[in-house]
Amino acid sequence: MIELKDILVKAKDRLILDVPSLRFEKGKRYGIIGENGSGKTTLLRVLMGTVQPSQGSVGFQTKNDNIGYLPQSPYVFSFSVKRNVSMVLEDSQSRGRLARDVLKKVGLENLADSRGNRLSGGERQRLGLARVLAVPKEVLLLDEPTSATDIRGTDIVEALLQEWFEKTKGLLIFTTHAPAQALRMADEVIFLEEGKVVETGSPQTLFNQPQEPQTQAFLSHWII
Amino acid sequence: MELINSVLNLLFGTDPELRQIISITLQMSFFSTLFSSLIGIPAGVLVGANEFRGKAVLSRIINTLLGLPPVVAGLLVLLLLSRSGPLGNFRLLYTVEAMVIAQVLLITPFITAMTANLVGVNATAINETLVGVGIRGTKRLKYFLLDFRVPFISIILAGFGRSIAEVGAVQMVGGNVQYKTRVMTTAIMMQTNMGRFDFAIALGLILLLISLVVNTVANQIQKAAQGD
Repeated sequence: MIELKDILVKAKDRLILDVPSLRFEKGKRYGIIGENGSGKTTLLRVLMGTVQPSQGSVGFQTKNDNIGYLPQSPYVFSFSVKRNVSMVLEDSQSRGRLARDVLKKVGLENLADSRGNRLSGGERQRLGLARVLAVPKEVLLLDEPTSATDIRGTDIVEALLQEWFEKTKGLLIFTTHAPAQALRMADEVIFLEEGKVVETGSPQTLFNQPQEPQTQAFLSHWII
Repeated sequence: MELINSVLNLLFGTDPELRQIISITLQMSFFSTLFSSLIGIPAGVLVGANEFRGKAVLSRIINTLLGLPPVVAGLLVLLLLSRSGPLGNFRLLYTVEAMVIAQVLLITPFITAMTANLVGVNATAINETLVGVGIRGTKRLKYFLLDFRVPFISIILAGFGRSIAEVGAVQMVGGNVQYKTRVMTTAIMMQTNMGRFDFAIALGLILLLISLVVNTVANQIQKAAQGD
């Protein structure tokens, strides 16, 4: 459904991403793991088209409008929480109700009338997710969607993504620095280091029998 | 004591010249701020919100124009509007319109630069967020304008402050003609030179008072906008 070919992203002389080939299939959930600066965010940005690679191509089998992207720190506009969601909805008659429904799903219905820029980091992430989920999408690209949420917030987000996936059978690609989250949510894990794909596989295989020394070293820091 | 009495008489009296000066000053400042904002804010959003080839050069030009000396702006407009100049047929020299043109030339770069800097700080995060929810192209600009509506008030206010306090350009293209183009700053300068300190002080106090009123009104608008 999305195919990357010979992707190279450089910033001045520094290599940020080097992906000769990578394919993402519809109906699967991909978890991208790796340390800070490993290229996870850049990979999502290339997929979203907000970063243009120095070379290579990204092939889509879906329209751009069908892709939703949640940055790690979603911008929250200085409107009410509800309007931050309804801004993406086109039907002016039902958008207030739809916005409330989706806010309820992310556990922010009580804050619907508060100003968006007064939310905490975790609440902002949930608001960002609500905004992305407010319009049906075939593909979701999420950059560390729970990096600022507490345990309850993480549960809400993961349950909501599970529900979205079961309903749409779409394509979910998310980054995380926590392998345990990839184990819970992904069908396939991609381990990145210094902008390169080191190893891919099912979470069970990759976490139980990592083949590459870099993967082994990365996983040795985590209790999964 | 005599000076204070004289100032109070002018402030609370019905001196026709003083009223005319205040009226012309407010007209000129209002229209020059309005036109500068109408040009400068959208231009600043376009520059601040987008990445494009030549952005660095354009930003440098705008920042250079920030330092444009008022008398140079006045000279440019004077040459443009003088009888032998390209716009001489319009007979605008020594009118309020000429003063507005000169001020727009001075204030627009200021408003553009302030807006571009303000918007530019969060541009990447806003663009990523908007693209992520399917809002692309020129549609994005609407959200930049809406999101920064409160700080824009401060920028417009600062532009108004510059306009009302400016003297060099308006003196050159307005000519300080009594009952026609005399504004508070040019009048203060003239009255001081003539030794009429009471009139100059009264005008100075009124300038401060206008500044206070404008700030208070803008503050209320900001509070209302923040609470919507």
